Amino acid sequence: MRLSRQIIPYLFLLPALLLLIVFNLAPTIATLVESTFIMSLRSGHRVFAGFANYERIFSDPIFWKSFEVTTIFSLLVNPIQIALALALAVLINQRLPGIGVFRSIYLLPIAVSLNVTAIVWGLMLDQNSGMINGILIQFGLPRQPFLHSVDQALWSIILIASWIGVPLWSLFLLAGLQNIPPTVLEAAKIDGANAWQSFTKITLPLLRRVLAFVLVADTVANFLMFAPILLLTSGGPRLSTNLIMYETYRRGFLYGDLGASSAMLSVMLIIVFVIIGVELYVLRGHD
Amino acid sequence: MRVESAGLRQDLPGHSRKQNRKPLRAFAQPALAYCLLIAGIIIVVLPLMWAAAASFTPNHKVFEYAYPFSWRALFPVDFTLEAYENLFARGFGRAVRNTFFLAVSTVIIGGAANALAGFAFGRFEFRGKNLLFLTVVMLTFMVPVDLTAIPRYILVNSFGWINTWQGLLIPGLANSLVIFLFRQFFAEIPQELIDAARVDGATWLRVLVSIIMPISKPVLVAASLLMFIGQWNSFFWPLLIAPRKEMRVVQVEISLAIGQYGTVWNELLAGSMIAAIVPILLIIPFQRYYVQAITGTGLD
Repeated sequence: MRLSRQIIPYLFLLPALLLLIVFNLAPTIATLVESTFIMSLRSGHRVFAGFANYERIFSDPIFWKSFEVTTIFSLLVNPIQIALALALAVLINQRLPGIGVFRSIYLLPIAVSLNVTAIVWGLMLDQNSGMINGILIQFGLPRQPFLHSVDQALWSIILIASWIGVPLWSLFLLAGLQNIPPTVLEAAKIDGANAWQSFTKITLPLLRRVLAFVLVADTVANFLMFAPILLLTSGGPRLSTNLIMYETYRRGFLYGDLGASSAMLSVMLIIVFVIIGVELYVLRGHD
Repeated sequence: MRVESAGLRQDLPGHSRKQNRKPLRAFAQPALAYCLLIAGIIIVVLPLMWAAAASFTPNHKVFEYAYPFSWRALFPVDFTLEAYENLFARGFGRAVRNTFFLAVSTVIIGGAANALAGFAFGRFEFRGKNLLFLTVVMLTFMVPVDLTAIPRYILVNSFGWINTWQGLLIPGLANSLVIFLFRQFFAEIPQELIDAARVDGATWLRVLVSIIMPISKPVLVAASLLMFIGQWNSFFWPLLIAPRKEMRVVQVEISLAIGQYGTVWNELLAGSMIAAIVPILLIIPFQRYYVQAITGTGLD
């Protein structure tokens, strides 16, 4: 009787934790292990190769180009999304008539999958007959190549990712804004602070935790950007949108080089852990 | 304290000047806010309205009003159901059924497993609780599933689960975010409620089903929405594990359609609209629950 009572919590945990261990935790470790093997999807032979896969990817200019593109993408997309998400959160946090309707409409992109977003925006940005060019020529501006241009393709991907990303992250920031006691802001107002002062001196510091979370979650999500590349650019033109997640897919599943693919994924895994580690460190430091 | 200092400030000349400007500001500030809000709404709504309108348009007219742009691009002025009829004639209905089946199964089976785990973490004290929570739930929550897709693929392949329902369904059942949600909710239920039932001799499973579940509507709605929409919108795993025509889900079907029927734009958009409308129709009525569910993790 006593024993059975003790095992109840473990029985409750068993199904979900077993599934998490088998399908999530084990593959995380296996990614690191797999990166030390050379294996082909076709022959099925695996041979231990030490760091050979890492040597191969680190001496491969396509990997470095992909790393560079991903870094540039991250440095652009994350600040843009977070700045716009913060602006949007402040806007939809205003007490205005009809604000509920606006909030509901801003939820729409969050429900839509990245694939659908990529398909629709891909057609909107079509270089010959897309709506964006249709609007540009109505204003007498020249047509733009967008996804077909080395200079504009990555920006087009940023636009597509942000159409979902900005409303999504603004929800977190809105929740953070609503957690700030109104009395604090009223007190600042009474003390003569203008809107900008109370935003920078009171709102932003109080949003620190949520902002840190959003920064990390957004960085990780964009680091794994995949569907728009697969559906729209295949990494091109001239590798200008060859983000690292797409490169791992190309290597692993199109060319069957799972070793190189796993080595890249391991590098990404380590980067993700570093990003999360920094977040935990920053958040812990101030509590 | 604050009130006193406010009283002092009222007498300063600078402040009264500010007060005179207030009517103008009170008008200008909301006006500016509305302008910005509407500008944002246009960016949100424009692609959706065009895609919806174009999906009800004959294929050769899909771009007609988009380039050069006119308001007609946003409404189905040449209304036809041709795209939807052709799409379903090609077997798109099966992809919709597959995805529904998969999403509903995930909500029911995954929901039960995640709720049990959340209950254990939220209500029981047992050895290894924190360790299990940190190493299994937290760690799997942090590592994005797409990053570990290759070993998962090799594992599932070794089970012989490629192009099977098991392969599609089982790896996505357990969800650390959902366990989180349940844990948080269950931890806040008053102990007296549970004690009363336990004194009457109810088993823990009975307590869970007949006492806890009926008062857990908010968390059940939120968790179900998260799991349903997550599965409905999932793409990478179904693309790897079940590429065979009969097994395809909606997201895979529309994505592969880009290459296959590259110029049948209205069908591509019709498929996209079906893929988009289901989560939209679920989120709008339940937005409060959904927003709380997805933002809850960021705040604690």
